[in-house]
Amino acid sequence: MSNYFGNYSLYFALIASLYLIIKSYLVSNKALKYLDKNFILITSIQTLMITISFISLVFAFIYSDFSNETVFNNSHTLKPMFYKISGSWGNHEGSLLLWLLVLSVFLFIFLLKSGSQNIKYRVLTLLFQQIIIAGFLIFILLTSNPFNMIFPIPSEGLGLNPILQDPALAIHPPILYLGYVGTSIIFSASLASLITGNIGEAWARHIKKWVLVSWIFLTIGILLGSIWAYYELGWGGFWFWDPVENVSLMPWFCLTALLHTVVVLERRNLFKEWTIILSITTFSLSMSGTFLVRSGILNSIHTFANDPSRGLFILSFLFILILMALTIFFFNQNKSKGAIKESFIFSKETAILVNNWFMMFFLSVVLVGTIYPIFLEVLNGSKISVGPPFYHNLLIPFLIPFLVFMSFGPSLKWIKDNVRKFEFDLFVIFLISILISYFILIKSEKSFLLSIPLIILSFYLLIITIKDFFSKKSYLSQKVSHFGFSLLILSILLNSLFSFEFNSNMKVGDQRVFNDKIIILKDVIVQDIDNYKSLKANFEIKNKNTTIPLTPEVRIYQQPFTITSEAAIKTTLLSDNFLVFNILKDDGYYNIRYQYKPLMIWIWMSTILISIGGVLSILRRNEKKY
Amino acid sequence: MKHLKILILVINFLLNFNLAHASDLDLRVEQITKNLRCLICQGQSVYDSQSDFAISMKLVVKKKLEEGKEEKQIYEYLKSKYGEWIVYEPELNPNTFLLWSIPLILFIFGGLLIVRKVSIK
Repeated sequence: MSNYFGNYSLYFALIASLYLIIKSYLVSNKALKYLDKNFILITSIQTLMITISFISLVFAFIYSDFSNETVFNNSHTLKPMFYKISGSWGNHEGSLLLWLLVLSVFLFIFLLKSGSQNIKYRVLTLLFQQIIIAGFLIFILLTSNPFNMIFPIPSEGLGLNPILQDPALAIHPPILYLGYVGTSIIFSASLASLITGNIGEAWARHIKKWVLVSWIFLTIGILLGSIWAYYELGWGGFWFWDPVENVSLMPWFCLTALLHTVVVLERRNLFKEWTIILSITTFSLSMSGTFLVRSGILNSIHTFANDPSRGLFILSFLFILILMALTIFFFNQNKSKGAIKESFIFSKETAILVNNWFMMFFLSVVLVGTIYPIFLEVLNGSKISVGPPFYHNLLIPFLIPFLVFMSFGPSLKWIKDNVRKFEFDLFVIFLISILISYFILIKSEKSFLLSIPLIILSFYLLIITIKDFFSKKSYLSQKVSHFGFSLLILSILLNSLFSFEFNSNMKVGDQRVFNDKIIILKDVIVQDIDNYKSLKANFEIKNKNTTIPLTPEVRIYQQPFTITSEAAIKTTLLSDNFLVFNILKDDGYYNIRYQYKPLMIWIWMSTILISIGGVLSILRRNEKKY
Repeated sequence: MKHLKILILVINFLLNFNLAHASDLDLRVEQITKNLRCLICQGQSVYDSQSDFAISMKLVVKKKLEEGKEEKQIYEYLKSKYGEWIVYEPELNPNTFLLWSIPLILFIFGGLLIVRKVSIK
């Protein structure tokens, strides 16, 4: 039953979409006094249809309706309820349906919230957003219908990849999608404002909310993915420069640049074309992110659902959208042109340009590193790997000037600031940073030449951002985000300098001595739970005066046969103790990997702080300007 | 182009200039195997993997180091055996020149654009 509901409501949604595209296109050339009420009505019906369709899919998963092919492929009666539900978007078809749902919900909210804007602008945004919605609807109905039926009805499903049975991963795609899809509104709105020629302060203020919303969700989405990788993949790292991770980082760089640029547009009416270019790029990156992940082109740990033929559709669709955007850009860019103003070298405008400059550089490194191997293989068949060393080599040196700029850029005034004279308190802060860094680096065993300026500068930036809390020159949102960022950089640096690890093969009763710690394997308990067999190992890590019990787990799933390892992590404010174990072939022995990871929690906390800054900016009511 | 190449080499040198040179054999094995792709796994380094391939790979690297081979020689040996695909850090050659230089060219280009946009008056 739910299959029919789900399927037909998608067709209705497509009809609504096509109607709205034609209607809004026809109306867009006329002078409009008010927005046709039908537009909002039909969009809300469309949103309702897509919601019904999505709920039908979730129901099919909850009741394990194996007449539905997607449910059959991705679910199993033995699976816990929470993962049955999250399984509905943990696969290709369902995740696209979720994309579509968010697309239409966002458009609906946009129509409700944009009442103060120009009518023509709203109609055009509706038009472009409906083009995207129609594209996704056709894509889903043609190549990835989540409601395909199978007959005879199987009695049991094929299960879900157990690696994906994890709370952080279950909520990570929806959050990330809210970020990705939020950029679609920015894209449609930019094209609409190009045509109507209303790019300016008021538009910037209005679109900034959407930029912030997308940026917050994207930041949190990336964070959740990273936390998941940290404790589930069992390698103790939090960022692997895996293509799928990169794909979420690229729109983030672009959005971060846009977030800063849109403020210049709001305050100074500058960088109009650049804001539009960033908006178009951000959405293209989000779309190609979906394309790259879903097409199976990438060689990645994440390609759990792939089919190259589907990739072709998204690629052509993306190509059409970008072509459309560029055409609109070239024919309309003069409409909003103001007087060409140059910005003074010591001014907030220039500082934000410099921020954008670095963001674009970081973006280009990640973009080139991710897609270059694909192109090279297509062009001359040579297969190369672009891994962490590449990204580190190109990104880390540029972090040094970036941190320098970030320490003084945000405090510059708009239009024209004075050339700074020697400031004694900054000099003292710098000396303090050198001193702290000296005492820290002297303890590290693996410090590199570049880590000296990096550590000094990140301490310097950290103190500056703390000092900024007492100044009255900027918004609290900016202070919190910038403080979060400096804390993030510092935590990552110290974490990489002071992490250490120990590998060994042990059997029950063994103990190993490592630095000043003793690792003891006390026993291993085997149990049958829900849909897997569990092996829990009881370890003790003994220090001079403390004993930390750690119980990592290995899970053996039967549908499909997979072994996952659940790391045991003991988190404190200062450090994480991280332990995983694996079953070895020779009986009785287990491979153990113990890691000491300082400041892990601060990496997560600082990222949360960064996004809290964004939330504060949305909530800001008083229009006091800095 | 030549300047760019030198810039890339200098950056490489700075990054790999390890103040506390790893002398311990296990540490060097760790360093090298972290830069090797486990060919039968999905997106895992040899160091991180417990597959048969990775385990034998770790032994090979250890043996080569004990024979007195340098890090570079080991990469060369493995590349000749398994192809460039195995090393996570792509070397600088005609195939990868653009990979390393596109971001740097864009950075310089962006800098020039900003210089044009900014006035000192």
